[in-house]
Amino acid sequence: MKKLPQYFLFLFLGSLYSANLESTFLVLNHFDKFLPNADSSLIENFSNSTFEFDSTFHILFEDIDNHANPASSHMVTIKELGEKYQVNYILFNRIEHIDDRFILNGLLFNTRSGGLIHRRKVDLKQYLNGQINELNMWVGNTVGQVEKKWENNRKSILFSNPEEINYEKTPRGAAIRSLVAPGWGQLYSDKKVSAGVWAGTESTLSLAVLISFLNYDAAAKSYKSNLTLYNETDDEKEVAKYRTNAESDWDDHVRFSALAIAFAGATGTGWVANSIHAWIVGPRPYKNLYQKWNPKSPNTTG
Amino acid sequence: MLRNYKWFLGSLLLLVNLFGQVKLSVKTIPKKVNIMLDGINIGKSPIINDRITPGIHKFEIAKSGFAPITYDILVNPSQAVHLDFFMNPIYQVKFKTQEKGLVFELNGEHLWDDPFIRLDLEAGDHFLRVFKLNEIIDEQTIHVDEPKKFNYYLKKLISEK
Repeated sequence: MKKLPQYFLFLFLGSLYSANLESTFLVLNHFDKFLPNADSSLIENFSNSTFEFDSTFHILFEDIDNHANPASSHMVTIKELGEKYQVNYILFNRIEHIDDRFILNGLLFNTRSGGLIHRRKVDLKQYLNGQINELNMWVGNTVGQVEKKWENNRKSILFSNPEEINYEKTPRGAAIRSLVAPGWGQLYSDKKVSAGVWAGTESTLSLAVLISFLNYDAAAKSYKSNLTLYNETDDEKEVAKYRTNAESDWDDHVRFSALAIAFAGATGTGWVANSIHAWIVGPRPYKNLYQKWNPKSPNTTG
Repeated sequence: MLRNYKWFLGSLLLLVNLFGQVKLSVKTIPKKVNIMLDGINIGKSPIINDRITPGIHKFEIAKSGFAPITYDILVNPSQAVHLDFFMNPIYQVKFKTQEKGLVFELNGEHLWDDPFIRLDLEAGDHFLRVFKLNEIIDEQTIHVDEPKKFNYYLKKLISEK
């Protein structure tokens, strides 16, 4: 029992010593497709680590999952490779492409123990431009150095979350513009004809409201004037004249009032309808697909 | 005392073997997705330094607006497992045609003859086949990278020629 503190001290010093070691890697890349700059990318991005590359040992790790204990399945070989190349770690990266899938299988072995210490599996669909980025991220994870630009690069390659997609022009933007000025939303959506129709219709209706109101106002004032003159005079002819004028003004005021209300209603309704129309025809992403006349060799559109 | 010490170490080893010692990390894009491991919710991603017992396990990851992922994994003893799940979004797509008598088939499984339909499609490439009078008249791959509307034409519009 007295030896126990010594044991922990030894363990502690050992951990301290290993933590201070420079990370040296033997990288065994096995890619089913040639990836230009894969090796140089690791050297450039991880200047604190030393890399040796050799791609002749991949067969060793092909069947790793068939072993009862893969973590210790190649201990002797790993230790031998560690001594031969004078490295602390062996990093085996296998990249496969199956249809539109990209599969990265990363294994990190410690050459002191010979054991498998980390394993990373990345299985992605539609991510065919991100292999080097994922390789950097995987190695970055093992050496504790993941750069923000790789995360951003990954984010830029992946498809966007529908809720996070921001469009420059939106149907709502069109509707708001048309609510401010009829036809503006349609113009914003490049619908020039309907923009013209809405702007013309609403302008005409607004003008009609204005004219009706002015006529109504004039008729009301004239009526009041004739009524005053009618009340002030005792002349029989003038009484008849002012009465006729006042009656005519009354009829005009009623008619123009009804017209102003009708035109105002039509203008308001049209204004709202124009905004709704702007939203309906608002800018939305679309793609025209045309028949490919040679069905035996389909092409990609997009 | 030495006997007790051995007993302690033996018990510790037994416990470690019984309860598993495989370190598990699960990251997802998007984040904060519920992770189901063998039907049990183990929390929201990212999951760091969790533990998993060796053997066959099933991960189920689902989030509204994304294609669900089911992943079977054989976890071997004495290894740390880091899993990255990148969920593929599902976009709402409209498909419209003014052509008459066409039947469309998507990815060899979905068939329709309506002039206008709405589809929920996983982001990525999809294979479109077009039939007329039971004959294939067109095949092409359509790329879905955002919610959008597809207008299908047999001939190119004059304005786009």
